[in-house]
Amino acid sequence: MRYFTRRVVLFLITLWAAVTLNFILPRLMPGSPADAALARLASTGQPITNAQRDAIQAQLGGANGNIVGQYFDYLGNIFTLQWGRSYSYATETVAHSVGRALPWTLILVGVTTIVAFVIGTLMGVYAGWRRGRAADATVTVGATFLASFPPFWLGLLLLYLFAFQLNWFPITGGYSAGTAPEWTWSFLVNAFEHSVLPAITLAVTSLSGWVFGMRNNMINTLGEDYVTFGQANGLRGRTIATLYAARNALLPNVTAFGLSLGAVVGGSVLVEGIFGYPGIGNLLYTAVTNQDYPLMQALFLVITVSMLVAIFVVDLLYARLDPRVRVGPEGS
Amino acid sequence: MTNVSVTPSAPTDIPEIDDRKVNRSHLPAPVRFVGRAVATLWRNGKARIGIVVLVLFLLVAALAPLIARQSPTSTDFIPYQHPNSINWFGTTGNGQDVFAQMVYGSRISLLVGLLAGLGATVVATVIGLIAGYRPGPVDEVLSFLTNLVLVIPGLPLMIILAAYLQSRSVWTIVLVVAFTSWATGARVIRSQASTLRNREFITSAVFSGERLSRVVFREILPNMTSLVAASFFGAATAAVMAEASLEFLGLGDPNTVSWGTILYYAQQQNALLTGQWLLVFAPGLAIALLAVSFTLINFGVDTLSNPRLRER
Amino acid sequence: MQGDSGNPTLVENFNPFSAASELGGTRLIYEPLEIASPIDGTFTPFLATDHRFTDPRTLVFTIRKGVTWSDGEPFTAADVVFTFRLLKQYPALDITGVWSVISSVAESGNLFTATFNTANVPFAATVAAVPIVPQHLWADIADPTRYANTTPVGTGPFTLSSFEPTQYALAKNPSYWQADNVAPATVLFPAQSTNQVTNQLNVVAGTYDWAYNYLPNVKDTYVSRDPDNIYWFPPGGTIGLFMNLTRAPYTDANFRKGVSLAIDRDLVAQKAVNGYTTGASMSGLVLPNQQKWLDPSLSRRGYVEQDLTAAKASFAKAGFTESNGRLVDGGGRQVSMTISMPANYSDWVTAAKETANQLGAVGISVQLDLPQAAQFQTEIQTGNFDVAMNSFAGTGLPYTDFRNGLASSFAAPINTRTVNNFERYKNRTLDQALATLAAATDEQTQREATYRLERIMYEQVPIVLLYYGGSWGLFSTRHFTGWPSAENPYTLPTSYNNSILVVLTRLKKA
Repeated sequence: MRYFTRRVVLFLITLWAAVTLNFILPRLMPGSPADAALARLASTGQPITNAQRDAIQAQLGGANGNIVGQYFDYLGNIFTLQWGRSYSYATETVAHSVGRALPWTLILVGVTTIVAFVIGTLMGVYAGWRRGRAADATVTVGATFLASFPPFWLGLLLLYLFAFQLNWFPITGGYSAGTAPEWTWSFLVNAFEHSVLPAITLAVTSLSGWVFGMRNNMINTLGEDYVTFGQANGLRGRTIATLYAARNALLPNVTAFGLSLGAVVGGSVLVEGIFGYPGIGNLLYTAVTNQDYPLMQALFLVITVSMLVAIFVVDLLYARLDPRVRVGPEGS
Repeated sequence: MTNVSVTPSAPTDIPEIDDRKVNRSHLPAPVRFVGRAVATLWRNGKARIGIVVLVLFLLVAALAPLIARQSPTSTDFIPYQHPNSINWFGTTGNGQDVFAQMVYGSRISLLVGLLAGLGATVVATVIGLIAGYRPGPVDEVLSFLTNLVLVIPGLPLMIILAAYLQSRSVWTIVLVVAFTSWATGARVIRSQASTLRNREFITSAVFSGERLSRVVFREILPNMTSLVAASFFGAATAAVMAEASLEFLGLGDPNTVSWGTILYYAQQQNALLTGQWLLVFAPGLAIALLAVSFTLINFGVDTLSNPRLRER
Repeated sequence: MQGDSGNPTLVENFNPFSAASELGGTRLIYEPLEIASPIDGTFTPFLATDHRFTDPRTLVFTIRKGVTWSDGEPFTAADVVFTFRLLKQYPALDITGVWSVISSVAESGNLFTATFNTANVPFAATVAAVPIVPQHLWADIADPTRYANTTPVGTGPFTLSSFEPTQYALAKNPSYWQADNVAPATVLFPAQSTNQVTNQLNVVAGTYDWAYNYLPNVKDTYVSRDPDNIYWFPPGGTIGLFMNLTRAPYTDANFRKGVSLAIDRDLVAQKAVNGYTTGASMSGLVLPNQQKWLDPSLSRRGYVEQDLTAAKASFAKAGFTESNGRLVDGGGRQVSMTISMPANYSDWVTAAKETANQLGAVGISVQLDLPQAAQFQTEIQTGNFDVAMNSFAGTGLPYTDFRNGLASSFAAPINTRTVNNFERYKNRTLDQALATLAAATDEQTQREATYRLERIMYEQVPIVLLYYGGSWGLFSTRHFTGWPSAENPYTLPTSYNNSILVVLTRLKKA
């Protein structure tokens, strides 16, 4: 129980610090939202004037009160989801913008991560079981190579080849222009077609972590006494690999799952941008380039909090699955 | 890294090698240490490939003026050339020689990868060691810091930091990448240090009255060389990728030529549309190969700490 | 029609005074009084039939009769007065700053009168461009600065027919006052990607009838893909080096002239924009667009050729000499220059690189600095920059161009913000010429005053103009013809501003 209380307290403190950091970070950026809006106008080649700047400054309103007041407003508003109005979409609330983008990323990144996790873990089991053989080398070196492609680069190449040259998939967006999200078969098919290329990009480049983790765990587990014992008792290799070794080797990989979700969301920033996918990553990039503090804060908040919660849950789960952990502060 | 050979009492992960005695009198300790590590890595097939690739890149970077006959910054070539005998990889829309850019670009990518990797490793090692060795408040604070950095999304954080550090140079990128990618390594090193803490040789060193810094850096650290090395190659891989991403976004140093900036300009001039395949393909592949070489070497490093992983 | 960038999706906002997120289609729903061509300032009438100055401070528009709002209500001069008073009441809506010049507005019958606080004839274009909203609907809006206006009612040729975050559609307004001149039945605006490559691929794939996009090697990448594909890349403004005129050695006109003479402008244009446009005339005019205002006494139409000997002579006058390939001052220190520009403006970056090469050849040490766009704005506005790339001109009106770029009244102290004249040029002769031009209603006086402005630019070199920034119009003639072109340059091919209204009331069915 003491372990549990300690975890909860630590979780709450980390949460507070992350939330505070989210408040500070966007404000570190040089430039201001009004300048960002002006820069956007200027980038279209239109002559810009002081009058425009004054009007934009007035429209954006900017933050009220001093920085301390802003901070407490921000803390209070987190719980009510009153995250204010986005600077780049003056007429829309931040909660609305985030709410619209979130499902897309959850589906894209979630499905991609699960697929990468399943395939990668299976490949890792196989490589670990066949360790030292040609199959192991092929799987590990191959996965290493795929993982080393910069995701945005792979995305660009896939986009050009399969969407532009071969016309197999649409070039941009989460669904076709002119259709609205709805629960119909044709829309789901449409959305699926749009998600194939970004999903492949993300899955391919995030596969290897699972492969290596699982392979090394497998090799360690295969060296344990109980596995040797099983072999001595005449159990077949495949039975050992799947029933005994893999099950026990899986545990560390599950903990990594929580952390990796956040990493994939971060990695999806560029990929979503390239494919024009209407998700969190794309929104975050827009928010950063527009110095849209309220939107940036909210997005960082959503990402960090979901990661912290994921880590917290995994930690607790791990402690339940492996009692040894509860003694030390943490399992590795 | 501190001098390792003065603590023969600590069991090191590096296997004893016969030529050690021969070397002791002639070479400084760090060289001997690196030599032994490389020799061990070399025995691992994957690491061997990684070392060969890395050495090739280092050679290209060092001998750039000999390999590329053209200047990487000159804009005097005919633009949009496909590969030919003068411009082996063709030219950019501005009339720059792509081959020369690739060759000279390896310098920046290696520099950023290695330096940022080193920076991240130093931070990771110091924080990980201290946290692991000092349980209680110190550990809590440092672990908490580590977790915090882990959960903030990396690339957006880098974008903000790169914008905040107003001078845009290669050093900015090194600093930003080092600052954002130490956390994973620190976590691993911390947990290893905390298990070592209770081992007998450490306990005895503490009882014999050795200073804390000496215990941590002389007794514990040498037992984690492979972990530190692994976190170095991990961070270096991340650094190469992060550098490419930042430069791809136009946040790099415009005065230098690197693989990331080649990709940036290739995108801006839409090289794919004008049929300049190599302009996009070559830098991406080079980045991938460099990252692969780091990861492959890491396979060898893993086997240093975990004999079970060694190839039979 | 490629018009709006969704980031990543479109947000419904048809408020014509919203600077942050207005959708381009808004300009087809709300009409202004008249639109001045960004090429040469010629007016195209919309809700006004014409305008005249009864004196240089009194501007009178004749309001068009027989126009109705798309909900059937009649449009009158009262709507115009209401709109202008709305902008006065809510300064946040006044994005073009009309109330910085106007002191009062009034209506009588079908006449709308705007009284200025100073003589400012060229400002008619800004007043004329204000989109007019219906009083009977807008009078009741609590906070028009936050009004998303999702059911827009305007006088324009199109009305909103559907809106999705990925695309919105406008349908032809059957009761439009010049409905005969509107060929398209619907206009579609799909959301664009934030990624330039993706956009270019979409454009090339033939998604649009009209797209605004820079394309490399346009003949191979666009024109050759479809016999209906045409393009027109006219100059839209001038890109130049803006030196911080509060810093030495940029305070010295001889030094600036030396820099100007050291640069091969056509080569810069060749590198930066594929040679789609040419090196810029130092007259300050965008040529050939503003041909009719060009001072005939300027040699080579104001184009300054690279002349390294003359450049060195000019540097010598400023006290700088060449030593071992380096341009040094009296104390032997090399001249060093840092050129900054937004990181994402690739043509500016390329131009700056070429310029840096050329200035390096005369011994100046040049570094480039690429901040994020917003940070760049902050730096230039507060005067914390060395040399900045930026654009000059582009309104089609010499007065507005020179005033925005060079008027002393804008030259704020360092650390005080100014968007205009951020290089902080001060020249009383120029201010006088501007004042003369502002008050002139006859073309002869206007011409003479403009010549004086051009000669100051040419001789004093307050800005080293480099090359013309292009206006990247890509069209398909499959469905419609009559796009603006070199033969018929009635407006710039910019799909994101007022030009869209001018173009869509001129197209013919193919």
